[in-house]
Amino acid sequence: MEAMNATVKDYILTEFLPGERPDALDESTPLITGGILDSIATVRLVVFLEEQFGVRFQPHEMSPDHLDSIRAITDTVRAKRAEHA
Amino acid sequence: MDFTISDEHRLLRDEIIRFARNELSPGVIERDRSGVFPRDLWLKCGEMGLQGLPVPEEYGGAGLDPLGTALALEALGYGCEDGGLTFAICAHLLACVVPVWKHGTEEQKQALLPALCSGRMIAVNGMTEPGSGSDAFAMHTQARRNGAGYRLTGRKTFGSNGPVADVALVYALTDATRGYHGGVTAFVVPTASDGFSVGQKFEKMGLRTSPISELVLEDVCVPDDAVLGGVGGGTALFTESMEWERICIAAVHVGTMQRLLEQATSYARTRTAFGRPIGKHQAVAHRLVDMKVRLEASRLLVYRAASRLDHARDIALDASLVKLFVSESLVKSALDAVQTMGGYGFMTEYHVERVLRDAVGSTLYSGTSEIQRNIMAGWMGL
Repeated sequence: MEAMNATVKDYILTEFLPGERPDALDESTPLITGGILDSIATVRLVVFLEEQFGVRFQPHEMSPDHLDSIRAITDTVRAKRAEHA
Repeated sequence: MDFTISDEHRLLRDEIIRFARNELSPGVIERDRSGVFPRDLWLKCGEMGLQGLPVPEEYGGAGLDPLGTALALEALGYGCEDGGLTFAICAHLLACVVPVWKHGTEEQKQALLPALCSGRMIAVNGMTEPGSGSDAFAMHTQARRNGAGYRLTGRKTFGSNGPVADVALVYALTDATRGYHGGVTAFVVPTASDGFSVGQKFEKMGLRTSPISELVLEDVCVPDDAVLGGVGGGTALFTESMEWERICIAAVHVGTMQRLLEQATSYARTRTAFGRPIGKHQAVAHRLVDMKVRLEASRLLVYRAASRLDHARDIALDASLVKLFVSESLVKSALDAVQTMGGYGFMTEYHVERVLRDAVGSTLYSGTSEIQRNIMAGWMGL
């Protein structure tokens, strides 16, 4: 879980917050409603999650309910993995 | 990648080219001049299956895969001189029929697709609004709960096929606080509904046989089963339809560029100046070679994107790349064809000035060139 959290955080920092201090992003920082992820960034993040963790998102899941924070993202990915375990 | 065309595709391509030349192209100069939508030809296209190319046969379509669809549309762009009619088919098929096929319930597909594929029913896409063009999701059209359905209010603009459409695919806000991320819903709305009207009709520089208008919704009530693709699913549905549209309209442009190149080359081989064919002059030959390079590069981009259309998650990037390059290539090649043919190229009866006027629209519709660059910049992490 910690590793997944770190991987997602690292990706978001590198791709969408270049130059930002790592401590500016925590598990509950709002990503979509906070304006860090726009529409294209959201799709790019989903492509990354699918390739990195071997899961598949449905179109309606590209929403704040599933992707608005690192915690929401990792919860969603973990739930998807458990479904197919 | 191997894009060898199968015998089946070759036969289909030849059939569409022959049909388009014999049935669709005659009379285009007069139709373009008067700005008339050729409903009789539209119905003939329906008999050929053009309005339902990728839709499964069980729903009245031709059942082609995305690459086959692109090849068929390339043949149409090559054989059909009526760019407005071709554009009207694309607007109907790619922005409306594809979403119904991909996201409709079984009941919706049974009710709509056979008539849409045969051309007996014409569809218009209602996304763009007077105040939100390229920023498509900055919309104001609202859909509010109203008993066992929704009440739609708003104004859409630049609806291709609007004046002749029987059904509209309208995107509206069902949750303004969510906006792009789950707040937009697609509705199938019969244009005969109370409160629905066509609004202003526009005259265009090109594509003049494709009618275009506003769509006005004043308290239009629709039942729950008018929702296409689930409440809040409008974004995913629209995005996917634009991927199909950007790639497959570009396929039409490839066909048109092929026709332009052949016409300009033929002219350059026979027209003489200073005692030899003008094609022997480097200034002309190099222009034609540039048209050839643009054509072949465009064709490869379209085929590659079409072959990935149904399974690649990052197809939005491909679609923007294809749309940008091919539409800008089309404008350049249409200008080059006019320039090569000199004064004759400027004359209506030689058919290239109309292609140039039609081509100017291609860098505007389905997202301007600037929007395609913005999308690609986003994918590049810029």
